[in-house]
Amino acid sequence: MFRLVAQRLLALVPLLFIVSVLAFSFTSLLPSDPVDLILGDTGTQEQHEMLRERMGLNEPLVVRYFQWLGKAVQGDLGTSFFNSVSVTDAVLLRLPVTLSLTAISALIAIVVGIAAGVAAALHPRSWIDRLATVGATFGQAVPNFWFGLILVAVFAVNLRWFPATGFTPISVSPWDWLRSVTLPSLALGLSSSAAIARQVRSAMVGVLQQDYIRAARAQGLSSRRVILRHALTNAMVPVVAVLSFQITVLLGGALIVEQVFAINGLGTLAIAAVRQQDIPMLQGLVLVMVGLVVLVQLATDLLYGLLNPKARPT
Amino acid sequence: MTTTSQNEPNTGPRRINFRPSASTAIVAAAGSVLVLLVFLAIFADWIAPYDPLRQNLIKAMQGPSAAHWLGTDDLGRDVLSRLIFGCRIAVLAAAEATSIAVLLGVPLGLFIGYRGGWWDWVVMRVVEAVVSIPGIMVAIVIIAILGAGLHRAMIALGILFSTSFLRLARGVVLAEREEVYVRSARVIGASDRRILLRHIFPNIAPPLVVQVTLTVGAVLLAEAGLSFIGLGVQPPDASWGTMLNSAAAYMDLNWFLAVPPGIAIILTVLSVNLLGDVIRDSIGRGVAVGVDPGKPAERFVPAIAATGAESPAPPPLADEVLRVEGLQVLVSGRDGHEVPVITDLSFGISRGETLGLVGESGSGKTITGLSILGLIGAGGRTTHGSIVLNGRDLRRLTPKQLEEVRGNEVAMVFQDPTTSLNPAFTVGSQIAEVLRTKQGLSGKQAWSRVVELIDRVGIPRPEERARAYPHELSGGMAQRIAIARALSCNPSLLIADEPTTALDVTVQQEILDLFRDLQGEFGMAILFVTHDLAVAADISDRISVMYAGEMVEMAEVDALFARPRHPYTRGLLSAMPHASSRNPPLPTIRGNVPRPGSWPSGCRFSNRCDFATAACERPIPLVGTDRLVRCIRAPELELKAAS
Repeated sequence: MFRLVAQRLLALVPLLFIVSVLAFSFTSLLPSDPVDLILGDTGTQEQHEMLRERMGLNEPLVVRYFQWLGKAVQGDLGTSFFNSVSVTDAVLLRLPVTLSLTAISALIAIVVGIAAGVAAALHPRSWIDRLATVGATFGQAVPNFWFGLILVAVFAVNLRWFPATGFTPISVSPWDWLRSVTLPSLALGLSSSAAIARQVRSAMVGVLQQDYIRAARAQGLSSRRVILRHALTNAMVPVVAVLSFQITVLLGGALIVEQVFAINGLGTLAIAAVRQQDIPMLQGLVLVMVGLVVLVQLATDLLYGLLNPKARPT
Repeated sequence: MTTTSQNEPNTGPRRINFRPSASTAIVAAAGSVLVLLVFLAIFADWIAPYDPLRQNLIKAMQGPSAAHWLGTDDLGRDVLSRLIFGCRIAVLAAAEATSIAVLLGVPLGLFIGYRGGWWDWVVMRVVEAVVSIPGIMVAIVIIAILGAGLHRAMIALGILFSTSFLRLARGVVLAEREEVYVRSARVIGASDRRILLRHIFPNIAPPLVVQVTLTVGAVLLAEAGLSFIGLGVQPPDASWGTMLNSAAAYMDLNWFLAVPPGIAIILTVLSVNLLGDVIRDSIGRGVAVGVDPGKPAERFVPAIAATGAESPAPPPLADEVLRVEGLQVLVSGRDGHEVPVITDLSFGISRGETLGLVGESGSGKTITGLSILGLIGAGGRTTHGSIVLNGRDLRRLTPKQLEEVRGNEVAMVFQDPTTSLNPAFTVGSQIAEVLRTKQGLSGKQAWSRVVELIDRVGIPRPEERARAYPHELSGGMAQRIAIARALSCNPSLLIADEPTTALDVTVQQEILDLFRDLQGEFGMAILFVTHDLAVAADISDRISVMYAGEMVEMAEVDALFARPRHPYTRGLLSAMPHASSRNPPLPTIRGNVPRPGSWPSGCRFSNRCDFATAACERPIPLVGTDRLVRCIRAPELELKAAS
């Protein structure tokens, strides 16, 4: 297991490196001059020059990149141009919000997706099979933020079961936290659950025809055990292979769904950073998000190895 | 009735297959939505009842009325008019971003795929990095560089989605580059550009069309999302996304504002996706997922012709473990009709005896084994007869009781050991699982028993092997594990379905010896299914020959080989290679085993039999006492083995 982790981690280093180059060089293409952004029209020519020198903007791009990377590796993502807060602090403050949405919606997507997929595979052409198919078709067409609006209209405005807006940190009140993330997570997670259900279904239909399933039945193992242990473990292999992609999609969706529920997460931060041309903030956000995606990828890789012994290094 | 219900698939009325008509209906509906969309986009100025930007604060936030069919928004603007002008933005956005994606991605993909080397390596690493960032964040960063607004946002989306076109084009080039016709074009001196255009580009077209439909849908959603968060279309311009943006602020006052633009987005994207599905299917790259719907199964009405003759039950054996009598099995074929695959099957096996079940493929041997276990599968069911194991008719047991019997009283070893063991678990744990669930052993007890069993089936270093995964074992070793698992609960009957067929010849003999050995120790009866007469002769005490779903002859091994009584048995024996006489070419039986459903109504071998007469055209029963034969001419023919 250790070798597997090490191997995967090593494979991710070049990816992170390239992303950091991209994040740095692309955001350095921003049309506005950071010095102008900070000082505005005020300040003398000399003051502008001094600030330029102090921010290291006169150095070549490559030097600036390595300076930035050196600090980033130590957890210092620089200082916002807009309000001189530390980017690391700003991102860390919002991270739990977006993570909550992504994690709960992923949980919904996976649990509902597997349950519906297995049920659909066991009962082809039943109502649950049709629902999974129709759900997946609609799930690809319904914008998650619109679905969020509808959920607000029904469950927050009319039924008042959930708050329409805002986010309560889990440290303040776990119950209120759950209530505040339920609707946005449903808005995000349900369409992914239909996609996962379709994948589970087709994998499961294939696995159920395998010899080892018949052999397990021939050995007198209960249907429940054969389906949930012998078949599902194998059916999950192709599903897990695309799970990290699904979670990346959820993370991106969370940025937008946050806006529906007026939740102050990474999405809000990113939108503000675009409007304010806040280069360090955007760089930091990209890096943190890729970091999250990489962690998810690592986790699904490990899960893949766990489910599929053939994929383990020998 | 409980006995048969578990073997019956869907006996209720099945739904009729709507597929062909459904897909034309979908194409028509989706097509009209898109035609309407384009029509509205082009003629928005004439169709829209109001100016989409004209505000009227007195009439703000009205519900649908005769004057304003979809009501008014927070600034009193007509929602229907804004929706119609939104069509224009949607069409523009989709066209713009998709064209940019194609024009950027395809040439670059072609280039790096064709060029290979460093170009390919660098570009692909960058693409991988971009793809690992959530798409919306990539778009946000690009918009930060270019600025907000419809066209800039669409350039951002075009760049984002170009990665999928790039990978698609590169993939096709890599696949085609080494094709013979491309190489020969190069040999005759065609220029690179000519090769790309003439030989490679046509192969990209079909997947490209599919990818375009996927992208158009994704662009529409992304445009709406970006406009919703204020980075796409800028107010006061009407796009579906900006309409949702203003609706979001007033959900508690007028939630209806969110409905029209949402429905417009869903209908459009749904139509594009559904059309894309149809295109993909018609291009033939899409493979239908899951089970073919199939036609409703018509219940087979057993007729004399199919059931054949009702033979008298064979005399009981001493110490009989299994007794099958008058078994008939039906399987629903591809067209949904049920056809008999086994009819009038009766035999018994006694303790410590091995009965060889011999026949060509399609003769019903394997189905016989599976029907004893009640595992024919969803498409088949037993309709007649009894399967009495240790005094209980298995056909009368509930599924739960049958589950109890499997493993404990009867177990099965399958043909291919590498596929009959679950690849996800260690082999030891798969045996231990049976011991724990069937015999209630603790984990520790089960494991030590597992090691004993693995040792017993002749595998060296059993403790180490128990921790191996199936793919780490050779075929022979995997089959020993499968045998150990089958015998773990000491069943009184072991069904072995071609257990040596998938193995090397040298290993075959070892496995046969193992069966004999274990039978001596455990004393179980073995039903040994094989198409190989030599194997059957080696392992069996008696042999039963099957042909086209029925037993045609049964006898002690020596008697059968010395004096076959059925013409088919004789044909099989004469087709056996002998080490001593290599010179004359092996005779074969003319023709093939008829498929289930196309059996002759009388003797099923009659159309291939050299001795068939008019009398063979009616059903023939299986008769005899110590040896049984299903041939009315057997007494007069007195066949001799070909050797």
